[in-house]
Amino acid sequence: MVYTQKTPWTLVMGVIMVAYAYMVQSGVMEPLITFLNTGRHAGEMQTLGYAFGAVAILAGLWQLLASPKEGQTDYYLSTVAGLTFIMLVAFIVKWGLDPLMAKWGREAQPALGFNFANILNLNYVVMGIIAGIIIVNVFKVPGWAQNGVRLSRLGLKTGVILLGTLYSFAELAQLGKLSIVLIGVFVLGSVGLVLWIGARRNLPNSMTGVMSAGIGVCGVSASVAAAPVVQAKSIEIAYTIGTVLLFGVVCMFLFPIVGKALGMGYVQFGAWAGTGILNSAQVAGAALAFQPTGIETLKVAEIFNITRVLFLPIIVLWLALWYVRREVVTERVDVMQVIVGKFPVFVLGFILMFLLSSTGIFAPARHYQGAYFDNSDKALIKKDRSGKEINNYLKDADVETLRKDAEKVKREDQRAALQRLIDNKKVMSEDDDATLRGIINAKIMSKEGTAVLNKAHRAVRHTAAKIAMFRDLIAWFFTFGLVGLGMQITAASIRQAGGQPLVIGSIVGVIKAVGSLIVVMMLVSETV
Amino acid sequence: MMQEDKFDRGTALTIFSTDRHEDLVALGLSLIIALLVYLFV
Repeated sequence: MVYTQKTPWTLVMGVIMVAYAYMVQSGVMEPLITFLNTGRHAGEMQTLGYAFGAVAILAGLWQLLASPKEGQTDYYLSTVAGLTFIMLVAFIVKWGLDPLMAKWGREAQPALGFNFANILNLNYVVMGIIAGIIIVNVFKVPGWAQNGVRLSRLGLKTGVILLGTLYSFAELAQLGKLSIVLIGVFVLGSVGLVLWIGARRNLPNSMTGVMSAGIGVCGVSASVAAAPVVQAKSIEIAYTIGTVLLFGVVCMFLFPIVGKALGMGYVQFGAWAGTGILNSAQVAGAALAFQPTGIETLKVAEIFNITRVLFLPIIVLWLALWYVRREVVTERVDVMQVIVGKFPVFVLGFILMFLLSSTGIFAPARHYQGAYFDNSDKALIKKDRSGKEINNYLKDADVETLRKDAEKVKREDQRAALQRLIDNKKVMSEDDDATLRGIINAKIMSKEGTAVLNKAHRAVRHTAAKIAMFRDLIAWFFTFGLVGLGMQITAASIRQAGGQPLVIGSIVGVIKAVGSLIVVMMLVSETV
Repeated sequence: MMQEDKFDRGTALTIFSTDRHEDLVALGLSLIIALLVYLFV
């Protein structure tokens, strides 16, 4: 089979990307950038536009001029068209639709009484996935792009591995402990619950077994890993995947709305999404949808997600023993071989990247979470793209707010650090910064006072260049993966869900989602 | 997911023959990116 199709579209998309990057660079797009307030993305508009545009132009020319034969070159090079297609959709959503909706949401707020873009969570993650779903179900993914769309999961896995560079030992230790307890309870609990309900409703053991892994551990991969040990049929795997997918898509859109309505913080939401949502990709989707402008929620959610994946061997062993007790096994299955063969290596990649980062090669170890302290004038007074000066010293009004709240601070060291901040209009040392963070975490001051302290903290904490680059790359890998994921959610795949598996999956899925929400709200604080 | 019979290699979700293969490519890609960031940023 030859995968490359003779189409001008790859070349056209490449030319559009390069032309857009050039127009941004030359200032032609300035009115639009100002209108949408996307100046902070101008750098990446040029870099990504030129990079992906150039690759697409070369691949597009090759598609038009060469006559590829079946083989590796044809197979892998034909994916460039789909990759470019996903990126073009991602560019339009991230640099166009996202800021446009944010603007309309703000402008309509006085008339509507609420910001519809915030309430409906219309950010680039949600709109990217929806755009993918609309493209595949309404217009169909063009034939020339279909092979490349299958790269989206590779994008998500690469994003997860790179995410390993952003954790500190302390953070991982704290989140790890919390996630092992929460995930342990909910994974083992939901596997047990599916097995119990399946037996009550007289479902075939193979169906119940594969279902329990899908609902309990991590959706699609777990269903496939558990299938051999419970001798599941293809149709049973399809039912499970359909159920997991349907439930996951609903959760991906619903969780961020509920999280915002309940006023959850990043750590709380990340813990809930990582525990309550069934499939890895949808955990990432919900976390980024909840916090599209930062990566903190995604970091927490992925720790929970990875902990869940690490439970896979235990579940496979459990199911093997459970199945052998209930059935006369005709075919001998080597459980250890299944565990070793199906264990997701990308999780080990995440750990490897974390260990690499911990050596300090990307940012010195003293840089807390990749951020370093600098309160010099050079760091505090900067210029924006138009050359206008941005002064990050506290303003007189900020100082006044702090003065009003100062009497609420009782601890001597905190009072002294606060006084130095008021006197100098900037945080004076790394120790002062830590002390003032203590005031923020203890929620001693008013909302306005805390906001000023946060502003002062941000002014002196600067992200190491390498870590900032990793953050940007990770966000783009996830964006690519999630837009592509949307293009794989077809009505036909959702229709695979049905009958008893859907009933049991929904019951256990809802119990897991609501149960983990209650536990997270009760036990997880924002200071982890 | 997309129809499997459209492709004679990989699955409906991935161009790679197995999940393990996809994981290893993701790992290789990540290491290359890390090296580039380390050297040039």
